[in-house]
Amino acid sequence: METIELFIYNIVGSQLCIEAEDGQKVYEKIKKGFDENKRISLSFQNIEMITTAFLNTAVGQLYRDYPEDKIRSSMEVKDIAPDDAKRIKRVTDTAKVFYKDPEERLRKSIDEILGEK
Amino acid sequence: MSDYKLENIDNGYKSYKQIIDFYDYYKDGFFQTINVHIENWFGGNMAAVLGSVSDLLMENLNTINFVIKDVEIKNLLLRNGFLSYYGHDIEIDDRHTTIKYLKIKPTDGRFFNNYIFGELINRPELPEMSQPLKKKITESIYELYVNAQIHSNTKFVYTCGQLFPAKNKIEFTFVDTGRGFKNVVNSALEPFGRHFNANQAIRWAIKDKNSTKGDVSGGIGLAILIEFIKLNKGKLQIVSDNGFYLLDETGEKDYDFPTSFPGSIINISVRTDDDASYSLIGEINNNDLF
Repeated sequence: METIELFIYNIVGSQLCIEAEDGQKVYEKIKKGFDENKRISLSFQNIEMITTAFLNTAVGQLYRDYPEDKIRSSMEVKDIAPDDAKRIKRVTDTAKVFYKDPEERLRKSIDEILGEK
Repeated sequence: MSDYKLENIDNGYKSYKQIIDFYDYYKDGFFQTINVHIENWFGGNMAAVLGSVSDLLMENLNTINFVIKDVEIKNLLLRNGFLSYYGHDIEIDDRHTTIKYLKIKPTDGRFFNNYIFGELINRPELPEMSQPLKKKITESIYELYVNAQIHSNTKFVYTCGQLFPAKNKIEFTFVDTGRGFKNVVNSALEPFGRHFNANQAIRWAIKDKNSTKGDVSGGIGLAILIEFIKLNKGKLQIVSDNGFYLLDETGEKDYDFPTSFPGSIINISVRTDDDASYSLIGEINNNDLF
């Protein structure tokens, strides 16, 4: 499988990956690659700051569109600070739960709050 | 012409209540001239709260004059730029302890970046702190900014802060006058026929993985902020509608206000002499991110 390297710095045009809208640009490129059966290598070279909002749209929503196995075998991350890698892990772990059974998850979360009071 | 007094405004419950009551008192009136007397004390970061409600009152073509006899308070609100929005000249902060009052559109990300870099990241007079801590503070503020962008539907966001070099502390306040936690969360819960009060909505929103966004996963930003504040032994306050959530060294508490704030306030107090390690506990394997 051919690997396409995506430079986040180039896609966003900034060292700061803050806004969800910028994450959407990354997501669309990944999606394009996935749909053509390419492997994606995401380079975070020169990136200084990443919010979870950016990552939710950039990679989190992939779990809505593709099976976990496909994402796992088709994605790699490079040039990333350990803290930021941890952030990605957190976002992907959340996305896996989020898209599994959204309704049941919401129902449970409501009961947790109302049950606490 | 009407006079209203705000006194001893710090970051406590009574101070928020005073500003919310001030808004509530005038919110339905038009074309009034309101002289707001600020007395005894005013915490610089609270300018973000006062500015937000003053703007809403001015939308009804009310005129607001700040009457400040106390030289120190006036000096502070000139140095942090707050009074420059109300007919005063912009002044230089010769004591270098303020983080400027800022009012911007939530879509103006580039300008917000300049503000964060100018007022925080590249600031030589910041209290001494580790690089990872500085990054954590900055990330937290950015998370708040994008949260407001995504959820609040606010016209403007308001921020302001204060440096306390002798106390090794930074206070930073972030305000929006958008839909508020209760409305946003209850809209998402509507299909379930359930309804939260303001404090329940805040408690729900700050829990890890709880998100009101239907299509895109989320609900991590506020949870990360809370983890950071706990580790830092700092303080977090969230005010929205008539709810007030407080996290400090003694734990989490919530309180009600008799009247409602029209949006959300998030105030963080961070200890800069914190020697907690913010680097990762354990290794993270890049092959295990997905």
